[in-house]
Amino acid sequence: MADPMPMTDSPITTVAPGWAIAALGILGALAVTAAMLDGALAARAGGGPGGKMGGPVRPFGEAARLMRQRRRTTVEADRLLWRIGGAGLLVVAALMVTVVPLGEWTIFDLDVGVMWFNAMDVMVWALVWLTGWGANSAHSLVGGYRFLAHGLGYELPLMFALVAPAIAAESLNVGAVAAAQEGLWFAVWMPVAFLVYLLGVAAFSVWGPFAPAIGTDVSGGARVELSGVDRLVFEAGRYALLAAGAAFAVPMFLGGGAGPLLPGWAWVLVKTVALLAVLVWLRRRLPAFRPDKFMEVGWMLLLPAVLLQDLVVAVIAVWRS
Amino acid sequence: MAAERNVAARGWRLAISPADADVLVVCGEPGPGLAEAIEGIWHQMPGPRVRVYAHAGDEVGARLDEAHTGLLDTDHHRRDAQERPTASELVAEQAGSRAESHGGHGDTDHGSAGGHEGMDHEGHEGMDHGSHEGMDHGSHEGMDHGSHEGMDHGAHEGMDHGDMEMSPGGIPLAEGGEDRDGLEMDVLQVRLGPVLPHWPAGLVLRCSLQGDVIVEAKAELVDGRARQDDEVVGPARGIDNIASLLALAGWDDAAAEARRIRDTALEPGDGAAGSELERLRRRVRRSWTLRWSLSGLRRLSDEDAHARGLPADAVGDTYERLMGMLDRAVAGVAATAAGDIGTRTNDAGRTLSTDHLAHLVMGLDLATARLVLASLDIHELLAGQAEHEVSHG
Repeated sequence: MADPMPMTDSPITTVAPGWAIAALGILGALAVTAAMLDGALAARAGGGPGGKMGGPVRPFGEAARLMRQRRRTTVEADRLLWRIGGAGLLVVAALMVTVVPLGEWTIFDLDVGVMWFNAMDVMVWALVWLTGWGANSAHSLVGGYRFLAHGLGYELPLMFALVAPAIAAESLNVGAVAAAQEGLWFAVWMPVAFLVYLLGVAAFSVWGPFAPAIGTDVSGGARVELSGVDRLVFEAGRYALLAAGAAFAVPMFLGGGAGPLLPGWAWVLVKTVALLAVLVWLRRRLPAFRPDKFMEVGWMLLLPAVLLQDLVVAVIAVWRS
Repeated sequence: MAAERNVAARGWRLAISPADADVLVVCGEPGPGLAEAIEGIWHQMPGPRVRVYAHAGDEVGARLDEAHTGLLDTDHHRRDAQERPTASELVAEQAGSRAESHGGHGDTDHGSAGGHEGMDHEGHEGMDHGSHEGMDHGSHEGMDHGSHEGMDHGAHEGMDHGDMEMSPGGIPLAEGGEDRDGLEMDVLQVRLGPVLPHWPAGLVLRCSLQGDVIVEAKAELVDGRARQDDEVVGPARGIDNIASLLALAGWDDAAAEARRIRDTALEPGDGAAGSELERLRRRVRRSWTLRWSLSGLRRLSDEDAHARGLPADAVGDTYERLMGMLDRAVAGVAATAAGDIGTRTNDAGRTLSTDHLAHLVMGLDLATARLVLASLDIHELLAGQAEHEVSHG
């Protein structure tokens, strides 16, 4: 990375690189929170007692189980690419949060922070596909390709959804976008962009309705051959992506650290957790969107809607200036 | 079903692939073909792994407890890890060729047994003949046992087994074939079944895939037998099929609910299942995303259904069939509650000959084919008179 060049009028302070560890810690905590919430919701749906390891402690039991389980490979697996795919999700999620300001502090105060986030979420395409490809297994490969099919449906709407706040703030700097929401959150007057963005987050986290890539109908898809630590890292990566996506929505749509009483950093965390809870809960409510059907929705419905949203935002931005 | 119920009661989870499983539960008495498939799954499990046999539904609880104890026996698993055959040995054994050495063995991580108490194991249940049914067992090797098999299911295998020069790791490469658009595309041979979660047990569907589209299919029953009559009476089996379809449609929550209702329906006593089932039906009906997702899949006309020997309620698309399943289940539970104990009316005619299966999945993609098959609400499979091979070209 080149030296980040803080803008003169940026309301954001760049902290020392060492703080990246803290950022990772926060991301990890958020991911675990998401996993615990998912476990609790699953236990509630299953009815009855979830045994000793049911409910919110499920992720810890699962982690212990997977750490004890052996790693396995398949015959003629493309091991390098397979491992890169599985481990990459966690890395991408970590890189996403580097541009999210926690109140007034950020790791990278990039002028093009929004583009940075977008570049990271496109990386997920490659990673999920590689996970499917590397195992040299038919179901796994089908799962990888199903993700690409979903990607074709969600990625463009997601990109244009990210464009809307940037147009309104007249900046691609995440801190500046957050600061531009004085008094009125972007989520309020660009609801379409906000909703499409949330769908995009679920999609690049291979979550809920966007889970056909790892769906039961293809026997676990891209995940099918992962065992032990590999599976643990892959699953952790999904939760981390969900958390990173929720965190990025805060400066983009929810006014960043703005809020009464609490300090900025606390508001960022509160808003992130609230959004994360919504995303986790989504999985309980919706069946999978089959990739072939969703493609049509993505192109015929979401893309025009979000382009229209961008147009409205652009007109308002011009009129205001 | 008893195994699934016990797994749920322990707060364990069902695995959907061997890679994720710790416990293999074999229910009933598998025939030779099925035993071979189960052996294949066993080889694919990463370990620490435990295999237990339950011959009747009431044994399952005790067997699962044994499995739990067995999982904590670290010394045994260390030995198991050293002694188990490597993938390459298995492939060589099958293909009769030397393969490069690929052990699927990473280092085992031996925690102290105490640290893993109350761990969350996943059970795969093997099939079950004669005791209960609809088990989840998770093999989905896309492998052809005739040529080789081992740690890797779904290996690309082509038609030619003679030319081992071209076979990395003893697995023949895929061969090209003409795709629907006239361009050449690789054809993969993938075997679905005989044991696969949410799949009629004992059914094997040998598919040729181009991409994920089934261009040729051949159905057969392992050991040449259909599922036997079992103890499951009344509407529970239909509800189990509903749970499978919902799980395949990616709606875990509703599927879990359906499984719970199924367990309630299996218990003698009050008609608690009725109101719960009614609630599930309303919930499924309210979901427009599910309607959007399942409608239009393999629409069958009256003639189609009749020609395939399917009951009249198989007419319509997959979504309509799901609704029909729910309606039948509600009616079945109501009838049972009304004292019509052991009613088997809803099982009558819910059979399908393997002759017709291939026609039903041709030209669909892998996942859609499974949804369609689950939506037929098959209670019994019959071996076809002739083994048909279907292809369109």
